Amino acid sequence: MTKVQLQETEHATPTESIRIGVYVCHCGLNIAGSVDCEAVAKFAATLPYVVVSKDYRYTCSEPGQELIRSDIKEYKLNRVVVASCSPRLHEPTFRRVCEDAGLNKYLFEMANIREHCSWVHLHDRESATEKAEDLVRMAVARAALLEPEEENTVPITRKALVIGGGVAGIQAALDLADTGYHVYLVERDPSIGGRMAQLDKTFPTMDCSICILAPKMADAGRHPNIELLTNSEVQEVKGYIGNFKAKVMKKPRYVTDECTACGDCVPVCSVTVPNEFDVGLSTRHGIYIPFPQAVPSTYIVDRELCLNKENIIVCDKCIKACERQAIDFEMKPEILELEVGTIVVATGADVFDPASLVEYGYTKFPNVITSLEFERLINAGGPSGGHIIRPSDMKIPETVAFIQCVGSRSERGHLYCSNVCCMNTIKDSLLIKEHWPETKIYVFYLDIRAYGKGFEDLYKRAKKEGVLFIRGLPAEVIEDRKTRNLWLIGENTLQQELYRINAEMAILSIGIEPRKDSAVIQRLLTLSRTQDGFFMEAHPKLRPVDAPTGGIFLAGCAESPKDIKDSVTQASAAAARASILMAKGKVTVEAITPRLIEENCTVCGLCARVCPYNAIIFDKEAKRVEFIEAACGGCGTCAAECPFDAIKMRHFTDEQIFAQIDAATQLDAEKKIIAFCCNWCSYAGADFAGVSRMQYPTNVRIIRTMCSGRVAPKFVEYAFARGAAAVLVSGCHIGDCHYINANYQTLKRVEKLWKKMERLELNKDRLQLEWINASEGERLASKIREMQAIVGSVSAEEIENSKKMMRKG
Amino acid sequence: MPVRIWREPLDADKIKVSKAEIHILKDQCKGCDFCIEFCPKQVLETSEELNIKGFHPPIVIDESRCVLCDFCTAICPDFAIFVIEKDCKEGC
Repeated sequence: MTKVQLQETEHATPTESIRIGVYVCHCGLNIAGSVDCEAVAKFAATLPYVVVSKDYRYTCSEPGQELIRSDIKEYKLNRVVVASCSPRLHEPTFRRVCEDAGLNKYLFEMANIREHCSWVHLHDRESATEKAEDLVRMAVARAALLEPEEENTVPITRKALVIGGGVAGIQAALDLADTGYHVYLVERDPSIGGRMAQLDKTFPTMDCSICILAPKMADAGRHPNIELLTNSEVQEVKGYIGNFKAKVMKKPRYVTDECTACGDCVPVCSVTVPNEFDVGLSTRHGIYIPFPQAVPSTYIVDRELCLNKENIIVCDKCIKACERQAIDFEMKPEILELEVGTIVVATGADVFDPASLVEYGYTKFPNVITSLEFERLINAGGPSGGHIIRPSDMKIPETVAFIQCVGSRSERGHLYCSNVCCMNTIKDSLLIKEHWPETKIYVFYLDIRAYGKGFEDLYKRAKKEGVLFIRGLPAEVIEDRKTRNLWLIGENTLQQELYRINAEMAILSIGIEPRKDSAVIQRLLTLSRTQDGFFMEAHPKLRPVDAPTGGIFLAGCAESPKDIKDSVTQASAAAARASILMAKGKVTVEAITPRLIEENCTVCGLCARVCPYNAIIFDKEAKRVEFIEAACGGCGTCAAECPFDAIKMRHFTDEQIFAQIDAATQLDAEKKIIAFCCNWCSYAGADFAGVSRMQYPTNVRIIRTMCSGRVAPKFVEYAFARGAAAVLVSGCHIGDCHYINANYQTLKRVEKLWKKMERLELNKDRLQLEWINASEGERLASKIREMQAIVGSVSAEEIENSKKMMRKG
Repeated sequence: MPVRIWREPLDADKIKVSKAEIHILKDQCKGCDFCIEFCPKQVLETSEELNIKGFHPPIVIDESRCVLCDFCTAICPDFAIFVIEKDCKEGC
């Protein structure tokens, strides 16, 4: 631990003459409302190397940017610090400003005094201002040690992978293919089409769903630039923006392309099972086509159901029936290795299973059906030929009740609004009225959300047609044993009276939920999910279709519940975003990769062992350690692992981080929490806490690293040696790490540190580890609140002890 | 599409279910048990009974399970088993 001793004081001084300009942004009242920006700017002027310091109303505005540009020239600035919002929002903006003025963009630094300060300390102006000053002090200290970096460019493969063949995936694939790029469209089911293929009509125009979808499906099927991979699943994705390598397993159909879809094989097949496409309301055989418009128009054998097991042909009836000899039980799964530059995730959503809401009696009462079952019943090609019939007696009901928000907007399901159910019900009610005008229809709702173009008109039309809207969901549905009719009992909250209404059939308007297996795609592509479980976008307003991982885009219900129009819009947007990358043909990689300091390296190989990307070539014999820049993700876990300080992480150097710790602990260290947050999850989580105005104590100082794996034990030890009361290390949840598995190293290192603290008889509660994802702002806020108690309990003696112990090591 | 499937399909009564009639020529059987072993629907099992040659011929446990794949007929070395489809025009 001699290193720590050396670093104890100002361990690094810049070599050149540093001239820093500091710009403190008011962001209207967003920052100025709880931070005295003028005072912060005045304070910044007193810091070392700062030659100019100003506060400005909106620094990101054009005049604000111009101010920085002209100052860079006028004051010969060679470092710029902007104290404003999160670098995750405006770092690119200000980096561009610096570049415009001839300054290398890596010489720019940001202090996050909005998301991490003014918004989370709304009611304590004095402490918030103090914290803002500290954050600026940290930023200036780091800025002084920043170095100019050159970015490498890597070529982009001009091919795209679209995962999911619903309407969003189809649209994205078509747009990309029309632009001229080769597209692999991967679909897990035997046909593309997705949920939209199951629907009867669409709102608000009442177009026939399959009639508008089928031509698109056919286009996708025969487009020369689209390679359709149905009955296939993505198994592995490696690489990075522009250069992904995906492994796709193409499961055998046991029916070759020779199939003409004549259907002669079906009647001879002696095994049957409920048809999933018709939600089990009809039957299909062991050899089948999911629905008549399926693309590809090729039958498929369900081997789970088929009598023929591996290597034994027990039943050959379909083989004999097929004139074209298209059935081949010898087909084997194929693994395809695809090289693509961009990926569109359009994996769709599942529907809520209402069986868990026992009061509605789904699965208990035959005449309680779901809205998806209704779609198949009202569809002319469906199991009842377009007649809504009561499953109990196959009669057309005279009274129908729709129950809204089943599984949505409730603790007993999902908290969010599923977006489409209100309009879907209104559409369904009109469909019933169109076929059977005498039907009495009740809609039990909480709020009717008819927010889109043409939606309100449709709602009004339904009311005019005599559909009765009753505010207040039924508390219970009871079945009349004899007639199988249903009694719906609840409170009409508008009239404040109880209702007890008899209906012959009840339709549960079920919500949309994330795919049950979204964790698989999440892991394959290192994506994040919101608390609701849908995939998270890079920025909710400004980058709504970009995933946080470069080169990956989101479309359709995988991102959030949405209707067909929004899915199509988002798919086209995702395709356009992907096209922009591929049109450029190359992409610059952030200069945050490591450099070897050869004189320190002992060729021990520890770095190679922890690298999640196998990007370090280690050859003990040849005494060679080499970094493969293109494969490196830039997490920095190698540098944290190196015991000899032989790895320099560019833009996140040891010196820069030590300088931030120094600055953060300069005043009142014994009251402070030093928090290391990874860029992708925890720092974003802290941003989210800010955006949501979650209030927490002001004594935390967040240091951003790309990955929690960058947090070397020496940083934590140094923070304690400087007298910090507590340290928080925080990263993505285990299994969700943006850098595959680098956070396992974080866990190991923190566990080691805990052991060490125990050995030194220090209170190990002062070091906390918490996994916080980008949507868990509250988790971060409550962790800080919890740690506040630890800070309060740490005695001056304990602080002195840790200062001594950690210095000694 | 993982949606809960629990109802009896509406067309359950219309779907043709094969009605098999299994015939075993007991005395032709030499008890190789191929038919029992390879039946994909587990329709047969070895009987206690001894045939004229002193072997245990198979017996039918559940005829309704048979889907008329005819594999037993195909693999029987002694032509001792065959299945015919019942004529269900007047109900079975």
